[in-house]
Amino acid sequence: MIATPKRSRIPRGLFPVGILLAVMLPLLLMPLAAIFVFAARSGLPGFVAALSSPDAQFALRFSLLIAFLTAFINGILGTYTAYVLSKYRFPGRDALNVVVNLPVAIPTVVVGTSLLLLWGPIGILGQFLVPLGVSPMFMPAGVLLAHLFVTFPYMLGSVKPVLDELEVTYEEAAYTIGANQLQAFRFVVLPALRGGLFSGALLTFAHSLGEFGATVLVSGNLSFRTQTAPLYIFAQFEAGNIEAANAVAAVLAMLSFVLFFALMQFNKSSARA
Amino acid sequence: MHLRERISQINWFVFTSRAALGLIVGALVFYAVEPWLPWNNTARPRTVIVYGFSILGEVMTKGIFPAFQQEWQTRSGEHIEFIVSFAGSGTITNQIVLGVPAQVGILSTELDAKRLVQQNVLRADAWKTLPHNGTLNYTPFVILTRKNNPKQIHDFSDLTRDGIGIVHADPRTSGGALWGILAEYGSAKQLGASDAEAEKQLAGIWHNVVAQASSARGARTQFENGFGDALITYEQEAVYDLKRGKLNDEIIYPRSTIESEHTVVIVDRNIAPADRELVNAFVAFLWSDTAQKIFAEYGFRSVDAKWNTDFVPIEKPFRVSDMGGWDQAKREIVDALWKNKITAASPQ
Amino acid sequence: MSIILTDLTKRFGEHLVVNRVSLDVRDGELFVLLGGSGSGKSTILRMIAGLSTPDAGKIELNGRDVTYLPPQVRGTGFVFQNYSIFRHMTVLQNVEFGLRIRKVKTKERARRAEELLDLVGLGGLGARFASQLSGGQQQRVALARALAYQPAVLLLDEPFGALDVKIRSQLRASLKEIQRQLKVTTILVTHDQEEAFELADRIGVMDAGHLIEVGTSETLYHQPDSEFTATFIGGGNVLVGRREHETIRLGSTTLPLPRAGHLADDGAPVRVLFRPETTLLQAERFAPDAGLHVLGQGVVVERIFAGALQRIVLEVEGLRGVRAVSPRVSYGQKATRVEVIQTAQREPNASFAPGAKLWIGLRDFHVLAPSGLKVLLCASDDEGGRIAAEMGSRLAQATHGPATLLTVVSRPELVAPARTRLEAMRRDLMPRVANLELRVRVGTSATEILLEAQEGHYEVIALGQVPDRNGYRGLGSTARQVLEQAEIPVLLTRSPEGKFENILICTRGGEPGKTDVVFGGRVARRANAQATVLYVQTPQTTDDEQKRAARHLLQAEASLSQQGVQCKLKILDGSIVESILQQAKTDNSDLIIIGAQAPRGRPRLRWQNLANQILGSTDCPVLVVPMNE
Repeated sequence: MIATPKRSRIPRGLFPVGILLAVMLPLLLMPLAAIFVFAARSGLPGFVAALSSPDAQFALRFSLLIAFLTAFINGILGTYTAYVLSKYRFPGRDALNVVVNLPVAIPTVVVGTSLLLLWGPIGILGQFLVPLGVSPMFMPAGVLLAHLFVTFPYMLGSVKPVLDELEVTYEEAAYTIGANQLQAFRFVVLPALRGGLFSGALLTFAHSLGEFGATVLVSGNLSFRTQTAPLYIFAQFEAGNIEAANAVAAVLAMLSFVLFFALMQFNKSSARA
Repeated sequence: MHLRERISQINWFVFTSRAALGLIVGALVFYAVEPWLPWNNTARPRTVIVYGFSILGEVMTKGIFPAFQQEWQTRSGEHIEFIVSFAGSGTITNQIVLGVPAQVGILSTELDAKRLVQQNVLRADAWKTLPHNGTLNYTPFVILTRKNNPKQIHDFSDLTRDGIGIVHADPRTSGGALWGILAEYGSAKQLGASDAEAEKQLAGIWHNVVAQASSARGARTQFENGFGDALITYEQEAVYDLKRGKLNDEIIYPRSTIESEHTVVIVDRNIAPADRELVNAFVAFLWSDTAQKIFAEYGFRSVDAKWNTDFVPIEKPFRVSDMGGWDQAKREIVDALWKNKITAASPQ
Repeated sequence: MSIILTDLTKRFGEHLVVNRVSLDVRDGELFVLLGGSGSGKSTILRMIAGLSTPDAGKIELNGRDVTYLPPQVRGTGFVFQNYSIFRHMTVLQNVEFGLRIRKVKTKERARRAEELLDLVGLGGLGARFASQLSGGQQQRVALARALAYQPAVLLLDEPFGALDVKIRSQLRASLKEIQRQLKVTTILVTHDQEEAFELADRIGVMDAGHLIEVGTSETLYHQPDSEFTATFIGGGNVLVGRREHETIRLGSTTLPLPRAGHLADDGAPVRVLFRPETTLLQAERFAPDAGLHVLGQGVVVERIFAGALQRIVLEVEGLRGVRAVSPRVSYGQKATRVEVIQTAQREPNASFAPGAKLWIGLRDFHVLAPSGLKVLLCASDDEGGRIAAEMGSRLAQATHGPATLLTVVSRPELVAPARTRLEAMRRDLMPRVANLELRVRVGTSATEILLEAQEGHYEVIALGQVPDRNGYRGLGSTARQVLEQAEIPVLLTRSPEGKFENILICTRGGEPGKTDVVFGGRVARRANAQATVLYVQTPQTTDDEQKRAARHLLQAEASLSQQGVQCKLKILDGSIVESILQQAKTDNSDLIIIGAQAPRGRPRLRWQNLANQILGSTDCPVLVVPMNE
């Protein structure tokens, strides 16, 4: 069924490969390797001790928690947005399409600033809400808000192309057969989106895990309260505790690798199906 | 029969790999959520939220906080915890203005406290009611050079020579950097130089700055990582490392230098009435013999001379009050000279 | 009746996609909607299934009004061109899906699905996924899925469009057989006439949102009513002749007027269809007893060999001046052309070579249903233009005729805005007149209207009237020019509202007219209206004139009832204008038709006065018919 492409002759000269490696090595691979080399230098006990300090533990758990929540919430929001943008025609749709993708283009620091200027104690909404005791900034909720904002387009970007390609006739077929809108979504649209949902959630998770620019502004960088792993790394590095910073950095890097390979593997297997 | 058919159709490789993935994700979720689960939520201890300027990190977390926790425990039987954030003094001042829930702030200059007054966070001179006008401790500004001082730097004036790279904190976010500027200018004056000569010394030093970090601690990290030949920084850091035998560098004491004064502020708006007593007790504790001794052990010069016997004496120390107070010094030296003349003139 | 559509209408934005379609599909019938892309056929299907909501009209399935019911409860099975097989489900799961939604027990579900897969010829492939099936197989799955819960109606939207020719014919055969077996009422939409012929019990031909004609394959091929069907289905020659008593005049030849079917009015255009394959060619004259209608002698201009058949195009000198609807007239062509198909082996090829002179004989021909009045709506950019467009379009609607919206602008740069204005007008009028064209001309108003009237072969020109300071005026200069120079009837109207149920035909007091009566009859017959023929005697009328008038009236009655128009005669004494107005009032007339004599000396003044006086004193629309006797 699947046509096997004719095996093309492998060019003999390895010169281009050499150039590629020469560029990639110092640019991408060596810095990453440095993290692990450094971690290894202080030995396993030092590494474990650095990792098991309560504030490092907190930062890691908090980062993961936020990443899970972000992936979950944006998974739902992003899918819904993609569905509406892809299936409905309404005035301002093109504009909305641009707006929802905007977070990709905006520097994360700007996102943090704008959130502060909206929700913060001196912000547009914050100046009314803070006296009432509602203040998401410098709280875990603020961090979540920032992450939702920054990672919003990733879910959308993974799901929308699939939805765009999924012709409306599939849903219509389900309708004529007797399925209501919910059933059509549940049995027809959602299964078709599986791949997009999975890779979107993974991308969102990975980005949330590494988010720094917006978080540093809206979190207040409070250890044991709002300090995410990247903030912890930065704070420890600034304070000269390079071992502590590096231990958490190594864990983050490992997690990212695993996520990335999961994504690659998944894309490969779904491309084959 | 139907069921058996279904079972036989299952692709076991896919099944196991999916199960494994599920388990891993499940474990990660549990790991992340665990501290927030209900059974872990046994009566949260009361907290004091402290924002401190960068070099305070170690002395506070390792020395002061445990000491106070212990004292409070014996005094009232209650276990309390600290929530802390350390960054450049300017940064934490900005954060306090923006509304972070800091209850106590320890700033590296009184100037930042004045900024909080301007932004209506504090009443004017609120910190003056605290012991020693709110000054927690001192530390003179010194020069750090590489081991054995290969560039033969002995005073601020040597830093103006060509070919010397200086690491400096950024005066826009770091209080330490402002102290540095005052030291670089003021030391010349103290040694009898004219205004113009002092200005020349300041400009010469800034001409040689090769790296700027957002905080004094950050500048130190940069220097440790091999940037530059000299670092202008708090004596405390160097002394503390020296005590622990971790100092790889040389401390150079200039003939004349400024002694920085670090200001404690209480941010009333972030303190619930029930916590008032606790916060006040903590602030009072900062000037207790116990705390001042700890500061001295970590390399800060105490407000009480009896703890300062181990420090190297400085020939001609001076304070910001000798330069007409912060308002004047900021206006005439930092703004008029450094900001408008020197950084504007030298393209970086 | 299984599927009944009544006046079904659908717009997409400003575009009218389905225009008042009414259709009955019988129980168990396989009905095919045939039309080009954008003809609205798929939209009708989607409205029946409930995937699209009509803007107006009614849909009944098995006696139940489902117009506004959601698709889930309509019980229709729908098959899409792209199959739309759910990719993550097996074939069996796809087929079961409807039963699963309806919570049928697993066992029953599986049994039924297997049964259906056997029926569509996919037994044993239930465990496969769509990606493991060919296109034809996927469409079979779609068919089984649509049939799984025994729908009342099966709807297929170009089901074979994406398949290659061979698989297509196999699938057609399967579909036909399955449909016969299950006796499920089916509508299939296609653009492929071969497919339609092969499958359909009956075919509905669609064009631009209209259901043009419904009939069996044979009827639509051999005896279509409309020009569109005649040219859309199969290749054909459609020539426009003119009825002359009991014959049809085509250039220098005549054909006998068939007795059956629609009869054109005497003197009205008649469209004759003959198929290329029912046409004979030979070098010698046809024998008189050959049972052929001889069209004349033509010269071969083109011969295309296509295996078993060859297509020959001839130019026929005898048909010069006869308008050909099909084949399309090519640029620089002198005489009318005719297309003939001959089997390849029958004649030596040389005799069909270009340049050969051959006699053309028709074994058979068919006369298309007469079309309605072709109306020109003078839609100038004012109140008069609006009134003309409204009322003229009502006339076109009543007589089922085509219409053209015309406006004249003074400068070329005004063409675009004028066109935009007409587009907007057309949107409003589309439900009334399907065949509505737009024209913008540059120049002076009266001249351009005259030119357009002549060039476009219009049968009525509609002009609106608006009062000026002195109230309503009579005939304007435009109307006068059109009447005198183009000799085309003019409809003058003050009000945009109106219907055509009672028509008053005023024959002139003096000489009995004929054109006015015939034309009035055409309008009345088309509009299905009551006609009154009025003659007014004045004290000056002589006995001789009275006798002639009486005879004329009786002739009028005869020819009107021959046209199938209900009519009554009326003779009044007194002032002409007053009598006409009086009669119009008693009859409650919707339209007054008066004859206008050609401009020759004194009578010219008379009819102008008559027209002016009537126009000046009634709100009723007036149709002035020029007469040239």
